[in-house]
Amino acid sequence: MSTLAIDLDAVRNAAGSVADPELPVVTLGMLGMVHDVKVEDGRVVIELLPTFSGCPATDIMGLDVRAAVGDQVEGIGEIGIRWLFQPVWSTDRITAEGHDQLRSFGIAPPTGGGPVSTLERPNHARSLPVAGAGAPTDRDPDAPPTADVRCPYCDSQDATEDSPFGPTPCRAAWYCQSCSQPFERFKPL
Amino acid sequence: MTTTQSPAWSAELLPDLTTPLARLVLAIGDDELISGHRAQHWTGVAPSLEQDMAFSTIAQDEVNHADTWYSLLVDREAEDARLRIDSLGLGRLPEQYRHAVLCERPPGDFVWTLARHWAYDHADVVRLGALADSSHDDVAGLATKLLREERYHLLHADQWFDRLTGMDRGRAEFGAALRDVLPQALWLFEPIEGEDEIVAEGLLPTASTDLRERWLEGVEAALRGADLAEVLPSQLRPTYDEPGGRRGVHSEDFTLDVWPEMTALHRAHPGAQW
Repeated sequence: MSTLAIDLDAVRNAAGSVADPELPVVTLGMLGMVHDVKVEDGRVVIELLPTFSGCPATDIMGLDVRAAVGDQVEGIGEIGIRWLFQPVWSTDRITAEGHDQLRSFGIAPPTGGGPVSTLERPNHARSLPVAGAGAPTDRDPDAPPTADVRCPYCDSQDATEDSPFGPTPCRAAWYCQSCSQPFERFKPL
Repeated sequence: MTTTQSPAWSAELLPDLTTPLARLVLAIGDDELISGHRAQHWTGVAPSLEQDMAFSTIAQDEVNHADTWYSLLVDREAEDARLRIDSLGLGRLPEQYRHAVLCERPPGDFVWTLARHWAYDHADVVRLGALADSSHDDVAGLATKLLREERYHLLHADQWFDRLTGMDRGRAEFGAALRDVLPQALWLFEPIEGEDEIVAEGLLPTASTDLRERWLEGVEAALRGADLAEVLPSQLRPTYDEPGGRRGVHSEDFTLDVWPEMTALHRAHPGAQW
């Protein structure tokens, strides 16, 4: 197999186009999970960043990436999936398009600060800046959790948190006082 | 040092459990695994739907945090990685587990659970903060990430601390639970086997007994702020002469309760995969 024949952009696109099994409106690309694609010893290796550690979809995502790249990229041989702990994934990596898609699905995107204002972040937290253009990068991780949460249905800020624990590890349960609609919020991480 | 033979059904799948990294990973991962198993008790029976979701999510988080810690000991790209990680979680004999005894205690009533939750999650965050500076890149990266996830657990624990200490009956019952929990929580800081080597290599940048001081600082300040300092144990600095959970000595709450149930399927069907 000639490694030169493999189009790594096509590999990245195929991996990035895989839908989140639990939130199919967003792709791994929109979530900022595809770190790198490379050729090592004649095989393609796709480096992915895991999101929430408790996410049961992680193993499925790896299988789906393998299948998508195998189907869509010509001349692909053996495919390796590598989950990395560095750089550290954070919700800052979700693209602006990802935010729009989450909102359309009834989920407030992870804007407006982290969960606890009293804890300092480790001073060498290794999050990388988001790769895609137009991604939100102005989040203050130490801001109060209620800042800038808008109802995904009516855009009101008159919303309250019912529970920081929702149906999945990445989502909290919220309620909009303005349109009387319960909604979920993607937790900032 | 561990001399116990691994069980026949998993011996070939387990890595060397005596390396410095393995000793560190087992202490942290086992705390998380057993805490997760005890947290899941509340699924379906918690006092409110919100608390049901809270402890169900915490259980899911902690079991997966354990899974992720164990994964540092296997080749994560290998085809049998899942099998090997499961074997680390479920394929050891009770005396090969390295969690603190506090984690294996039954959930008690909801107030006792909240007291353990508060003591444990403060300890976990102190430990993760130190591990974020580990000399091992994956340990540091994972600790940094898990610290952000654990902030949601800590927020939950602290909210309950404020709520319970702010009312008369809550103070009395929460205080009584803390009197039972805190002496055991000090054993979360029992040194890991061969810890000097683990600290010297920078895997764990801060010794367990120093982490205990950081934890005590926060715990004491919170209790004094709530005018509950009287629940602090008189002996805050055990000498750890007798071996505890970090050296594989567990109570029947683990050997006759958590362990048999947790490992039943794995022992009955070695190599079973979900």
